[in-house]
Amino acid sequence: MKHKIKLNVNGKICEVSVKNNQLLVDVIRNELGLTGTKIGCDEGECGVCTVLLDGRPVRSCLQLAVDVKDKKITTIEGIVKNGNLHPLQKAFIQHGAVQCGFCTPGMILSAKALLDNTPHPTVDEVRTAIDGNLCRCTGYARIIKAVLAAAEGSDL
Amino acid sequence: MSNSVTVVGKSIPRVDAEQKVTGAAKYTCDLALPGMLCGKVLRSPYSHAKILSIDTSKAERVKGVEAVICGRNNPSKLYGVYIRDQSILANDKVRFVGDPVVAIAAVAEDAAEEALSLVEVQYEELQPIFDPEESIEERANLIHEGLDKYVRPDECRAVGGTNICNYVKVRKGDVQKGFKEAFKVYEDRFTTQLMHHCYLEPHAVIADIDSSGSLTLYGSFQAPFMTRAGIANLFQIPVSRVRVITPFVGGGFGGKCTMTLEPIAVSLAMKTGKPIKLIMSRNEDFIASVVRHPAIVYIKTGVNKNGEILAREIKLIWDTGGYADYGPVVAIEAVTAATGPYRVPNVSIDSYCVYTNKPIGGAFRSFGSAQVHWASESQVDIIARDLGIDPVDIRLINAVEEGSSSAVGETLHSVGFNETLREASNAIGWGKRKPSGRGVGVASMIHFTVAFLPSSAIVKVCDDGSVRIYKGAVELGQGTNTILTQIVSEVMGIPVDKISIAPNDTEFVPYDWGTFSSRQTFCSGNAVRFAAEDAKRQLLAVASEKFGVKPDDLICADGKLSVKGEPDRVASFDEIASYSYLNSGPIIGKGSFHLDIVPLDPETGQSPRFIAYYMYATQIAEVEVDEQTGVVKILKLVAAHDVGRAINPLNIKQQIEGGLVMGIGTTLYEELVLDAGNILNATFVDYKVPRAKDIPELVPIIVEAPHREGPFGAKGVGETTLIPTTAAISNAIYDAIGVRIKDLPITPEKIVKARREKHRLDNK
Repeated sequence: MKHKIKLNVNGKICEVSVKNNQLLVDVIRNELGLTGTKIGCDEGECGVCTVLLDGRPVRSCLQLAVDVKDKKITTIEGIVKNGNLHPLQKAFIQHGAVQCGFCTPGMILSAKALLDNTPHPTVDEVRTAIDGNLCRCTGYARIIKAVLAAAEGSDL
Repeated sequence: MSNSVTVVGKSIPRVDAEQKVTGAAKYTCDLALPGMLCGKVLRSPYSHAKILSIDTSKAERVKGVEAVICGRNNPSKLYGVYIRDQSILANDKVRFVGDPVVAIAAVAEDAAEEALSLVEVQYEELQPIFDPEESIEERANLIHEGLDKYVRPDECRAVGGTNICNYVKVRKGDVQKGFKEAFKVYEDRFTTQLMHHCYLEPHAVIADIDSSGSLTLYGSFQAPFMTRAGIANLFQIPVSRVRVITPFVGGGFGGKCTMTLEPIAVSLAMKTGKPIKLIMSRNEDFIASVVRHPAIVYIKTGVNKNGEILAREIKLIWDTGGYADYGPVVAIEAVTAATGPYRVPNVSIDSYCVYTNKPIGGAFRSFGSAQVHWASESQVDIIARDLGIDPVDIRLINAVEEGSSSAVGETLHSVGFNETLREASNAIGWGKRKPSGRGVGVASMIHFTVAFLPSSAIVKVCDDGSVRIYKGAVELGQGTNTILTQIVSEVMGIPVDKISIAPNDTEFVPYDWGTFSSRQTFCSGNAVRFAAEDAKRQLLAVASEKFGVKPDDLICADGKLSVKGEPDRVASFDEIASYSYLNSGPIIGKGSFHLDIVPLDPETGQSPRFIAYYMYATQIAEVEVDEQTGVVKILKLVAAHDVGRAINPLNIKQQIEGGLVMGIGTTLYEELVLDAGNILNATFVDYKVPRAKDIPELVPIIVEAPHREGPFGAKGVGETTLIPTTAAISNAIYDAIGVRIKDLPITPEKIVKARREKHRLDNK
């Protein structure tokens, strides 16, 4: 049985029709058409479904949509401001941190959560922040470089 | 070969990176068609069993279910990339846990899952075979009783009445004579484990059939034209009525070169008359797509007192699981890796591909080369230490050079191997003493690229002067879109931002064999180069008419055409293009690249040209080993790779780094663990791929030995970057604590056990 709830996604209040057992990732992708958030495993291990809940990175594949009615949800589509790429997005492009791109949205959001709380992280803090985001293409080295470069840039 | 280039050789950012960082890039799972159904597959819980009956009546009655199909009630034609031994859904028996048995189409996922749970299948279990060495000898319990009758290439040496689905032999020189003359002969046995590619995007396909019977497939494919031909053949549809559209692919590594969900999707689309999407769950992808062939390698090498290799005899056993897939081809091509990057005058190779009741072995980054080098580069280290020769020196002593002969008798060209040894050993500071518990290990490699079939491309100058590339090479994340853009930019003298790539749609792009084997920079690179040159000639012809000069008197640069020596007489691409469109016609260049290949001789395994080109590399690992726990910490990995010519140096380094980390996983962490044919760890929880905290310092180094047939001298790199890593790490572990493991992965338990055994023997 579906019922209507309101979700705050990327600063907009959206009314969606959901079942009680419907996952947040499913609502984001299929009801709201925001396909930047991906599904990569069935159990919250790979991180490609990462979204921010009140600024905190969470696995949207382990989150029921009905439980987050009062939270601010941020997906990858929500971090561009006034048509300008977020410094992390620019850094990922410039520093070769993107290959197949499937892990990229989740990776960037985990990094954003880190930089919003820790503007000048150490290498180890970056590694810890993205340790829950798997990447099979890049070997992580340039992702770490990109996050540190974004941290050094002043327009966060 | 051009020496003055402006775009080739530059580390420009990926042309598709912006789409990916914004989440705008679409993958198959992101696409939806009106009225699209959801498909699910019921798979065998047994590794070897007869199907006695299937009752789908309850499943069919579930609300929302539109079709339930099975093979038993509707036996299908067989398909397969080399040997046609697979049916769409199991006909009469199942051959591995995960073999597809029933497929369901429903309006929503939960209806499909409910229906799946209501299907009743009666099986009669058969004796399964898990050990490939046992399977080779087996004559009574056959996994494929009909092997003899399967459609397969003439050269395939499947042995009817056995579980052997291919056998390849190489006989060069006289190994017995070589062993007789040797100062010492070394014999070792190495094994590798069951592994998965773990691309982040699971297999996904959408099948859509229209009222005329024309079929469109969307999917995460590495080889769209192979999919197209495979489906056309299987369903007896003309190839021209099968259209394959490939959006962005979230990683392939070889795992998406074969049909997995496609035949099922097409069957359900035909049954329901509606579009249908199937996506593998991660658990399903581990079990029921393809895996890396576990291999058993018996390697016997004879050397003289100076460490020169005189003879090598090698037996390779490839465990291809329940169906052959690319196994027989791995058995063929991997023989070219068997002598390593060394001059070996006397060679004997026996390479067997054998069925077992385990997951299907398919293409996996390096196509068998990694398994062969695990053995051969570990053994070179054993030999070096035994003879008291430095491990880098022994490789220099035996190194192939320009003009040397390959294992299969080809004359080698573009051989940057020596330089990789020098660069890697300089970068690590080879020869410095390390503190106790630390060690360094070196390993090298030679790797083959095949180009049996062509690549083609179209380059169109649009009426606004921009350029569009139509090609079948698939962007998997390896960077092919960027490389091909750079090549076109260089040839035509037009800025990169004026060039775009058309969607990968077989309706519009010309034939391309597929994206595997590190072949696209070379093959599609040449194809787009020829197409760009053709388009440029047409542009020049139009411009020469407009300016009243000969084409040779024109310069093409920065998106402009000007008369040599008269810089005021200039026109932009868009002026010339729009003039052409209105007065003479569109500007469309085409190009195609193929090589004439000679198959291996069935008796000697020799050929004058079997492989398109070889790549070389040396990697050095520095490790620290905790002797109490056996835990290995990798401190640094240096990797020097000969790529011919780096079209985009950043791209090369990205591929090296990614491969090194996959190599770390291969060596220390990754293994699909089986219990009676059942995978116990088909999840990311228990199948450990490296994470950000696991990576050491990575030092990628580019070496260039230009290839005369490569675009601007380029070869490839992607497949090669995890090949030497396993032996480099293992050799470093030996250097650190004197323990050698011969069976991957190298777990802490194995090290502790081996260390205890060593102490026991030392104290005897």
